[in-house]
Amino acid sequence: MDLVNLFVTVFTRPDLWAGTLRFAAPLTLAALGGVISERSGVVNIAMEGMMLVGAFFAVLVAAATHDIVLATLASVVCGGLIATFHGVASIHLRANQIVSGMAINLLALGLTSFLMFRFYATSGTPSDIPALPDINIPVVNSIPFVGAVIGDQNIIVWVAILAVPATWFFLFRTRLGLRIRAVGEHPRAADTLGVSVFQIRYLCVILSGLLSGLGGAYLALSVAHSFSDNMTSGAGFIALAAMIFGKWHPVGAFLACLLFGFGQSLGINLQGTGFPDQLVAATPYVLTVVALAGFVGRATAPAADGVPYEVGE
Amino acid sequence: MTVAIAPLEAPRSRILRLAAAGVTPVLAVVLAIIVGGFVVLASGSNPITAYQQMLVGAVGSPFDISETFISSIPLILAAYAVSFAFRCGLFNIGAEGQLYMGAIASTWVATTLSDWPGLPLIIACIVAAMAAGGAWAGIAGWLKAKTGAHEVITTMMLSYVAIDISHWLLEAGPMTPANAFGTPESGPIPPTAAFPVIVPSWILPNARLNASLFLTILAGLVFAWILWRTPLGYEIRAVGFNAKAAAYGGINVARRLVIAMVIAGAFAGLAGMVPVWTQMRLYDSFSPGYGYEAIAVALVGKNSAIGIFLAGLLYGAMIHGSVAMQANANISGFLVQILQALVLFFVGAEMLIRWMLKRGGLRAIAEASA
Repeated sequence: MDLVNLFVTVFTRPDLWAGTLRFAAPLTLAALGGVISERSGVVNIAMEGMMLVGAFFAVLVAAATHDIVLATLASVVCGGLIATFHGVASIHLRANQIVSGMAINLLALGLTSFLMFRFYATSGTPSDIPALPDINIPVVNSIPFVGAVIGDQNIIVWVAILAVPATWFFLFRTRLGLRIRAVGEHPRAADTLGVSVFQIRYLCVILSGLLSGLGGAYLALSVAHSFSDNMTSGAGFIALAAMIFGKWHPVGAFLACLLFGFGQSLGINLQGTGFPDQLVAATPYVLTVVALAGFVGRATAPAADGVPYEVGE
Repeated sequence: MTVAIAPLEAPRSRILRLAAAGVTPVLAVVLAIIVGGFVVLASGSNPITAYQQMLVGAVGSPFDISETFISSIPLILAAYAVSFAFRCGLFNIGAEGQLYMGAIASTWVATTLSDWPGLPLIIACIVAAMAAGGAWAGIAGWLKAKTGAHEVITTMMLSYVAIDISHWLLEAGPMTPANAFGTPESGPIPPTAAFPVIVPSWILPNARLNASLFLTILAGLVFAWILWRTPLGYEIRAVGFNAKAAAYGGINVARRLVIAMVIAGAFAGLAGMVPVWTQMRLYDSFSPGYGYEAIAVALVGKNSAIGIFLAGLLYGAMIHGSVAMQANANISGFLVQILQALVLFFVGAEMLIRWMLKRGGLRAIAEASA
């Protein structure tokens, strides 16, 4: 009975649900980017590196300018820049996209840690950097429970939530979205009809970099309020898992991110309740494996995902 | 005409193929060093000093050479785990977790059976490491075969689970020694279970390089033998090449997927045991990411036993050399990660290298490497 009581207490705690949204937000941004990139036929396992680059340059620019808008912009642009490398390798140079993605991840880890040593050696990043603002919603804020969950969330949480329907609309209800999906399923046919496969793919890879970069900025400028080596610690890989788990669909990916966010939040809310913290921390990962094996079944990637396109004669 | 050329063609193309197999990684390394040099330059340091310190740090003395091997061995073994699965068409990015399970199991056997005599104890530890790694990877293989669960996710998730289990065991669980303080760690590995040091003490009194090097060479031979000399290896490669065709050919694809993952995990389990046997204790978070760097080693080594061995030595040398570089030249050791990433990037972007070869008049090699 104790256990039941414990679960009732934990599950009715608004912190658990507010935390779910907070943890899910950066994952969602990266996962949506992954969906866009892979729908156009470019496998993207480099979200981890793109987030890390976003996080570092967010802090660097925030420390230098004390301007939150510039800092966020810098993270987005740098995420897009490193994504361009992945684009050149996988689109023009027809590299193996998994190899290129791993290279981007390693490069991001090396580069950010290298620069971290160069700029902040032992002292750590400055603490007087601006933070991304929380959005206080006046009326909602006073509703019991609901107010505590969504009444005072960070701006990026809302951006991430709104990005889900926006990405869906973009991919499934616009001409450009149709072209993206055509390029990802059957590039030759799309090419024949006059769609530039290379242009579309560059656009999508760079878009994924922008979104991951923003996710990184959120981690650095809201959650951690600092940068430390390898601070994303696998968030990009979890976003990758969420994308596959969600079957390359924006809504599916978002639901998967919520599940991961819930697992992380549950771990924190169960701290000090007698469960070993280390095992509770493994909950989201076990949940994923079980859910993937039990409910999701075979996921099918876009037909031309990972296949470099050669312009025909 | 073509008939007359044919007999000459075969041996020449074989040499060319060999040259081509080696030329991409070597050129990739050269390019990476050049680009990395510019990164150092841009950060306001002297790249020549950096590389000099790194080289001296890696191979400047017998002790450093021995330490470079120590850095390389877990990478090489874990890369065999990545590659073996890759040969079956599976992307095993969870060698890290399999390696943790191997470390945990072998440590557990060594500390609980500490009164066993040396050789049986060592063998029991090796078997435990391989079995635990194999079982952990086998879960992902089995899920893939049974339900189609994507192995990229399952191996990655199982890695996090394995690492969390190790944290629990060492920080608050049954492997935490009584009155432990400081860094969480297991009890000591009994000296009877140790691998013998293979560098004679008259050459180097304080060398730590042990017989795990022979184990690594043996593992490479087994890796190549299974893949290229046994029916199982043929079937695994057939599944990796084209699973549908393999199924039509009468191969039980599901079973091969599971077996390939179990064997892969066994290599990773061994990779996890070796660093523990170097430090003679299992420390919390003992792996600096061997399982992840192994993915790069496997790719640079082109999934061949010898290629992986050489790539592993290179990466190990960079890792060990970076320690001296950071200390003596005050340049972040993370330069190594940048170099590793660049090597991988250029290996991936082979087209760029082929283009350079053609430009350099080495068209034949460029075409053989296509």
